[in-house]
Amino acid sequence: MRTLGVLLAGSAGVGHQDHQAEMYAPGFAAHPGFGIVGATEDGSGFDRADVDVVSVCVPFERRVEVVTAALRAGKHVLVDKPVALTSAECAEIAAVAAETGLVCLPAYHQRFHPAIRTAREAVAAGRVGLTWNVQADFLVAGGGPVWPYGELLNFAPYATDAVHAITGLPVTAVYALARPAEGPDDLVTLCLTHERGMTSTVVAGRTPPIAGVNGLSLHRYRVSGSHGTLLADATRPGVTVRGEKGTRTAWAGHGTVHRMLTELHAAVTDGRPAELGPTDALAALLLVEAARESIATGRVVRLGDDEQTKARVS
Amino acid sequence: MERDSMSNRPLGILVVGAGAIADLHVAAVAADPRCVLAGFADVNADRARTAAHRNGGVFWTADLAEALARPDVDACIICTPNDTHEDLALRVAEAGKHLLLEKPLATTVEGADAIVEAFARRGLVLAVAHSHRFYDYGRTVHDEIASGAVGRPTLVRLALLGGWIWPDWRAWVIDPARSGGHALHNGVHLLDLVTWWIGSRPVSVYARGQRRTATELDVHDYLEMVVRYDDGAVAICEMSRAHRPTALAHRDVVVQGTGGLLTLAWDGEGALLWDEKGAHTLDPGVAYGFAAQLGAWLDAVTAGDAGTSVSGEEAAMAVALGVAAERSMALGVPVEVQ
Repeated sequence: MRTLGVLLAGSAGVGHQDHQAEMYAPGFAAHPGFGIVGATEDGSGFDRADVDVVSVCVPFERRVEVVTAALRAGKHVLVDKPVALTSAECAEIAAVAAETGLVCLPAYHQRFHPAIRTAREAVAAGRVGLTWNVQADFLVAGGGPVWPYGELLNFAPYATDAVHAITGLPVTAVYALARPAEGPDDLVTLCLTHERGMTSTVVAGRTPPIAGVNGLSLHRYRVSGSHGTLLADATRPGVTVRGEKGTRTAWAGHGTVHRMLTELHAAVTDGRPAELGPTDALAALLLVEAARESIATGRVVRLGDDEQTKARVS
Repeated sequence: MERDSMSNRPLGILVVGAGAIADLHVAAVAADPRCVLAGFADVNADRARTAAHRNGGVFWTADLAEALARPDVDACIICTPNDTHEDLALRVAEAGKHLLLEKPLATTVEGADAIVEAFARRGLVLAVAHSHRFYDYGRTVHDEIASGAVGRPTLVRLALLGGWIWPDWRAWVIDPARSGGHALHNGVHLLDLVTWWIGSRPVSVYARGQRRTATELDVHDYLEMVVRYDDGAVAICEMSRAHRPTALAHRDVVVQGTGGLLTLAWDGEGALLWDEKGAHTLDPGVAYGFAAQLGAWLDAVTAGDAGTSVSGEEAAMAVALGVAAERSMALGVPVEVQ
């Protein structure tokens, strides 16, 4: 396997998060297809010959500048999610990525979860027929709040991206419900209408801590189709281990970040687009913005109605 | 009806409407020593006669007035099509009889209010057959929330999913003029249950419906109803007769609260059986729930207490939610609850 050189750029994220240190650096280090060759905080080093991929976690105010500079320097990019704080900024990145033809992968790694991959493959093989509804739950217990950004921006796109990965149907309208996000208790309910008349209801967010739960307390997708019904529980696979110190689950298979990096490696070495690109990140951000409008107005908000949206998506 | 609490004679129950659901009520009546089956009234004389014959040759009639005039009729169970509930219930109240009424209480908010008022004015006991409140799962979730085990509910999911069980195009249940639409016919079960669990006031409903079994359906065989409550809680209710395979029987419950998470696994209630036709969950059935429902109504009647475990006001709220859901589906927008 060809080893790709990785430059780590920045260590910022939403709120308290440092996904570079916690997820991507360990992920690249453990993956046989990558080798970390350096780190930068100011975005320098993009001209280095030993760098194939730049892993970008710089602060949001520098995202567009750093990602586009890396792309223009001929480097492939992994971008922490959310790629940007606004769809307009994300559209700028998408335009440069399209222009350079390089891989620019937004790190929505949950879609690479084995349970979601299995669901996606079953749906694509026609095992449930034509999909007409999805129900999704993405609840994380405890952890630090990402206020003022909120879980609509932080967690909800994982779930909506997974729904898109499973069904391939873009969202056409959203009605969203949320309570004021000022603490760790920050849940959002997204009632989505998709192309082909499919509907979905996606619940995502952070809840108060739960004893024995580290991270996701509920992560699942129910897909209903013309010829079948599919339940995918993404808290599985796992063995349950009960002992004196309590209960935990374990599984030896690779995690979602590793699987995402495998896709990044394959796209780069095969010279093909990654299955997940800046237009997916843009769709996610347009949905977040429409959901915010829905929460503020109490109305159903259609996506792609206005000229600006059409221009961004096209 | 002080006579009921004073007398040792079991309460005479008239069953109005001898269709499929009547059998479950009659079985509950037969099992409770506090009451006896007094007879059947059905506009279809053949159906009334057959039901009476099958149940020991009790009295039967096609004339409700005749039945209500009988001295051995103390109370009624109405299980007729939804659009007849208002007229029949008001006649039962007029005759001074207690009533256990199949859901929905009525197909309009005005009708529901009129029934509640008629029974309250006469001090008669009105209960509505929101049977899921009497199933073990429904009571367990309610009791856990009431005990504070999960704090204050912020998000509730309730899904009752199955395939097509209705008859053909002639069935009244798929005629919205008769049933009120699926949100009123079956949706009220879920709307009532989650509202009982959450315990706060519903303020709006956003509902989406689909017609999966046939595009020519006049009702939505799949319902996705999202209710917002005055304390910010959200309930997602799914009711389906549209799922495949047709034999699917899937129930899902989630309660996320400020202090914890409650879930009921789809196979959380019973055993699993694999046979030559596939995998099946073996659940305890519904008979015990109908028995408990009847028992709660009889408790209120014999205690001379007009308050029941499913009060008229609560059943009227379920109607208001069902009406709002149907309106939301028709308009494609969220609707305030009346």
